[in-house]
Amino acid sequence: MAAERNPASCYLDERTFRLCCQLFLQHSETIQDGWSWEQIKGTDEGFMKKTLLIPVKSSVLHKQHECSMQDENMVTDDTQANVEDETAGVQAVCEIHAVLRYEYHVLYSFSYQIPVLYFRASTLDGRPLSLEEVWGNVHPNYRQRLQQGPWDTLTQQDHPLLGQPFFMLHPCRTEEFMKPALDLAQAENKRVNYIVTWLSVVGPVIRLDVPLSYSTEVSAPD
Amino acid sequence: MSDNAESPTENQKDDPSIQHTATEHTGSSDEKKKIDVLLKAVGDTPIMKTKKWSVESGRTVQSLAQFISRFLKLDPSEQLFIYVNQSFAPSPDQEVGALFECFGSDGKLVLHYCKSQAWG
Repeated sequence: MAAERNPASCYLDERTFRLCCQLFLQHSETIQDGWSWEQIKGTDEGFMKKTLLIPVKSSVLHKQHECSMQDENMVTDDTQANVEDETAGVQAVCEIHAVLRYEYHVLYSFSYQIPVLYFRASTLDGRPLSLEEVWGNVHPNYRQRLQQGPWDTLTQQDHPLLGQPFFMLHPCRTEEFMKPALDLAQAENKRVNYIVTWLSVVGPVIRLDVPLSYSTEVSAPD
Repeated sequence: MSDNAESPTENQKDDPSIQHTATEHTGSSDEKKKIDVLLKAVGDTPIMKTKKWSVESGRTVQSLAQFISRFLKLDPSEQLFIYVNQSFAPSPDQEVGALFECFGSDGKLVLHYCKSQAWG
């Protein structure tokens, strides 16, 4: 697998996808990070899944436009709480009025030959979030740039395996952030676990953090 | 670092929490603890003339990314990606101090940065 001078490929074949996921899941199990593998009955297709409860200001749910201004200030003052990431330093908790339920699925896309992140979000009493509300909850670090582009970066899409409505982060730009990481690793003669690298970039966009230990504890498949 | 003053010629000496390492170390409390960060550009991302920075350990990755973006005068449509350990992107809310504990060596933290087009 170690290419000599060729740039590392940004594509992932399905077998390597599965192997990377297996290694990823082993570590998740070790640190109780909540990921599981879901197999579609009667097929050999499956995906990784994780559910998260995310505290948000109620303004995220009702006033998206005002919210983006507030969130900028919020992050500058480092007051955003993150209940899931235990490795980050504990920061001052802002006023929390609501908890949202986010469910993340990592699927393999045969057409793009890369992983894709699907997710759905709802309030605790089961009301699905609208696309606008989900936009309001995109991490401020990415929101401005995402909004500069066309709206189809974050889209509503039927889950390819479950057939239910989900949101999806469009994978067309994957190469732009995978290539630097893969090239860097290759320059150091290191192999990477594609899923660890990929998820560490895309996850935080929609509030899914990957603990630092994945970087050091999860190996690349043989 | 004041996020209000968006002047492109912002003098980084006015920013108490991100300083060139030529200045002496200050502060004895953990809050003021500074981490030596070495910033390396990837690909055709512009190289920062000053590569070594002294950053407060409580500073977040997002805040550092904003600083680099402004320093390099990036267009609003350009996204900056930061990598640690060559191939891992720390969460924007992650603190530099925590990264140093995990990945620091020889008294410094090496971070690679790369700019790309907006998503979508």
